[in-house]
Amino acid sequence: MSSQTKTTLNWIGTFIVMLIITMPGIWVILSGFRPLQEILAKPAIWIPQRLTLDNFRAIFGIGETQIAIPVVAYFRNSIIIATTSTLVAIVVGISGGYAFARYRFRFKNTLFLGLMLSRTVPGIALSLPLFILWARLGWIDTQFGLILVYVALNVPFTIWLIDGFFRQIPKELAEAAEVDGCTRWQAFWRIEFPLAKSGIASAGIFAFLTSWNEYALASNLTRSTNSKTLPVGLTDFIAQFTTDWAGMCAMAFIIIVPALVLTFIVQKHLIAGLTFGGVKG
Amino acid sequence: MSVLTNIKRKMFSEQATPYVLLLPAIIMILIVVLFPLLFSLYTSFTPYKLTRPDTLWKFVGLRNYERIFTDWDFWVAFGRTVLFLAIVINLEFLFGLGIALLINRITWGQRTLRTIMMFPMMFSPILVGFQFKFIFNDNIGLMNNALQSLGITDQAIPWLVDGTLAMGAIAFAEIWMSTSIFAILLLAGLFAMPKDPLEAAQVDGCNAWQTFRHITLPYLMPFAYIAMTIRSLDVARAYDVVDTMTGGGPAGRTELLWTLIARTGYDSASMGKANAMAYVSILLSIAFTYFFYTKLVAARRYMGGAQ
Amino acid sequence: MTEVSLQQVVKRYGQLEVVHAIDLEIRHSEFVVLVGPSGCGKSTTLRMIAGLEEISDGTIKIGDKVVNKLPPRDRNISMVFQNYALYPHMSVRENLGFGLKIAKHPESEINKRVEEAAEILGLGMLMDRLPAELSGGQRQRVAMGRAIVRNPDVFLFDEPLSNLDAKLRVQMRTEIKKLHKRVNNTIVYVTHDQVEAMTLADRIVIMRDGHIEQVGSPLKVFDHPNNTFVASFIGSPPMNQLSGKVIEKEGVPHIDLEGNLTIPVPNRARNHVQVGQQVIVGVRPDDLTPEGHGMSDVGEIVSFDLSVSISEPLGTESILFSTIGNNEVQGKMLNPRPIEGEERLTFNLSLDRTHLFDAETGQNVLGHSDGSN
Repeated sequence: MSSQTKTTLNWIGTFIVMLIITMPGIWVILSGFRPLQEILAKPAIWIPQRLTLDNFRAIFGIGETQIAIPVVAYFRNSIIIATTSTLVAIVVGISGGYAFARYRFRFKNTLFLGLMLSRTVPGIALSLPLFILWARLGWIDTQFGLILVYVALNVPFTIWLIDGFFRQIPKELAEAAEVDGCTRWQAFWRIEFPLAKSGIASAGIFAFLTSWNEYALASNLTRSTNSKTLPVGLTDFIAQFTTDWAGMCAMAFIIIVPALVLTFIVQKHLIAGLTFGGVKG
Repeated sequence: MSVLTNIKRKMFSEQATPYVLLLPAIIMILIVVLFPLLFSLYTSFTPYKLTRPDTLWKFVGLRNYERIFTDWDFWVAFGRTVLFLAIVINLEFLFGLGIALLINRITWGQRTLRTIMMFPMMFSPILVGFQFKFIFNDNIGLMNNALQSLGITDQAIPWLVDGTLAMGAIAFAEIWMSTSIFAILLLAGLFAMPKDPLEAAQVDGCNAWQTFRHITLPYLMPFAYIAMTIRSLDVARAYDVVDTMTGGGPAGRTELLWTLIARTGYDSASMGKANAMAYVSILLSIAFTYFFYTKLVAARRYMGGAQ
Repeated sequence: MTEVSLQQVVKRYGQLEVVHAIDLEIRHSEFVVLVGPSGCGKSTTLRMIAGLEEISDGTIKIGDKVVNKLPPRDRNISMVFQNYALYPHMSVRENLGFGLKIAKHPESEINKRVEEAAEILGLGMLMDRLPAELSGGQRQRVAMGRAIVRNPDVFLFDEPLSNLDAKLRVQMRTEIKKLHKRVNNTIVYVTHDQVEAMTLADRIVIMRDGHIEQVGSPLKVFDHPNNTFVASFIGSPPMNQLSGKVIEKEGVPHIDLEGNLTIPVPNRARNHVQVGQQVIVGVRPDDLTPEGHGMSDVGEIVSFDLSVSISEPLGTESILFSTIGNNEVQGKMLNPRPIEGEERLTFNLSLDRTHLFDAETGQNVLGHSDGSN
């Protein structure tokens, strides 16, 4: 085979792969902007005849067709819960990641393993006792209850990533700063933190997405507009209006957007973080 | 006062610092994971039903475990889960490797392709489930529409209604969601790979396949194991996908361990029994993670020489 | 006046002791070099002086102040790291001024002192660049600039030249020496390179396995190595070490070397050896030269034939490789001529410049030189 044909085949293969990766999402997003009749049409209409924002008006309750899903409240809950739990997880993660990256101490490996293992517990398995305990504590259907859970959920992975980023920074930099007259805290804050900033940001985006996307726990620990998040809202939608595909696609679009935007921002650091943390661990 | 300064001094001494730094993380895990798990371990020895709170204090020993271990439905779901994971993770590795090799050969637009590849990783499993529920819908789904428009069939293939097809559709969704992790890490491995051993192998007379088999693949394995470790950390995400796509149906034909737990715990309110199952699922997750992690540690050992 | 004094300083990591109760007195404005193979504890010692490692036992004083428990910032030291440790997110100017800024000096003073340091090290053109945009030598200079800006009592250097290429290393060596002449502060310098140690130091401290083997001026440790380790570590190519036994021959003590070679015990060592003692004879390649190709004025000489297998021409001299018994030896040929194939040559060994060590202890039979000079 000539290298020309090889290259061509390579491109064709890549194109098919990219098609499979992007097509489902594009199809869902596109359907969110199409009228329901067009989606339901038989035989299928491939080229959209008309694009509309009606579906979005409907789910936000501004159009003439109103839908009884309080998307605005879910959206607000999702934002508050994901943002708060991310911020807390990042602070906890910096603190823990720094400890693993810079100190030698007893039980270090055990602790690290323990943290990671805590992440392996399936959400649904964890939801059972949490459901009972949170009910007793009055934390069911509160934003606080879910935030607490998401922080704990995110901390292991955040620590793992941030540990990797701190380890890329030579220890001598902090030492040089200490010799230069810094306290340990100043050395961290003025030298190591600024250098790990982009890595920390990507860990943050990860934590955000985990919280934003989580379903197994949220579906069981929330009950009303007090704390229900978008993924729970979407499944409600599916259960209640089994045939309103256009509306569901519009709602899916709302959940997808942050994922798309953040992926774009995070992609460079993500790869560095994952490989570094893993290989040199 | 002096006690306080004493404590303070101890807290800020060099030995104590790492523990103090880790304290918030440990407390979080204690409250949200460890303590609840101890509690659920306890309830797995009681006949606790949500509808009858007093049953929480009745101790029945291993009866829940006996009951689930003699329950045929449980073993079917368990076996299906293990089989599902084994097939799905292996396929993800193979596809990921293929994609990484494809993209590694491309010189123009590589970054863009890599970014696109990451999208599925960022998708909520719920969205993935919904997306494929929509696409595999027998009536208006993209899949059947395409098959019909291309004239391959005029039937509406019941993707999510037939048990076997539904399992296939779920596996497809799962693979779509997670292959990227493998592709991205293996691609990073290919980028990081030193050229010398490849050239040395060529000089030693290896053909392309031999070079790949004996040089490239061993070098990539640690990266594959990182992907598998990360992946095994949340294998239970499949719950979200199944729950959205089929809800475990039709007639329990796509029931995985996790959907069975949810049904037992929340729908039948048998918390004691559900917690016993949950423990089996936790052990399964830990076993998967541990398996890949030890592989990773072993593979890292020879990586040290390469990097 | 800033002396640095280490008394019975110990460093342990758990059970493992890596520095064993060392004593060292460093005088004001002295340039002291700690040298030894990797793992000998020299860097650990330096880091203990810096306060980057806690000491496990003993006392460290800087000036009159015991600094055992003081963090680095309270010791008034500065340090140049092996990898320079420049702050990657700060420009050269910010790197230089960082310490002064932390110490809250007024901006005008910071600027003045930064400019001064930049002037001394010729950094003027580079002030607004980031470390990543500098060459190795320039980074080295910035690291030194950052150290002198703060005008500390003591400078610490941790293998600062080991990342530079050979040519630049020689150049920077000279600059460091000039710098010392100019600022005249106390300097403690760590290296594994004995040439660097010899050329820079007022006094050399040779370490091995967490012990100090010898302290002395470069010439002293060269001329009177306390033991076989120092003898082989200092000097290049390394000193030849030939094992032998003291015997009595014609009424004078001789040393019976392997390979049927017998040489008289040098005059100065006669009273320090006994017949029957196993010894090691140390001969520097410079003192084992072919007839007509050696130095003049070398005192008492012993001559014998050796067959030369390999020669390495260096221009002004050639290194010759041969064997005495089972021992490989190297000799030096001044004003060299080419040597091809095996050649048998008559060698002169200058007896007065040989060193004698006890084979069992490895110590110099003449005893130890004191560390004062």
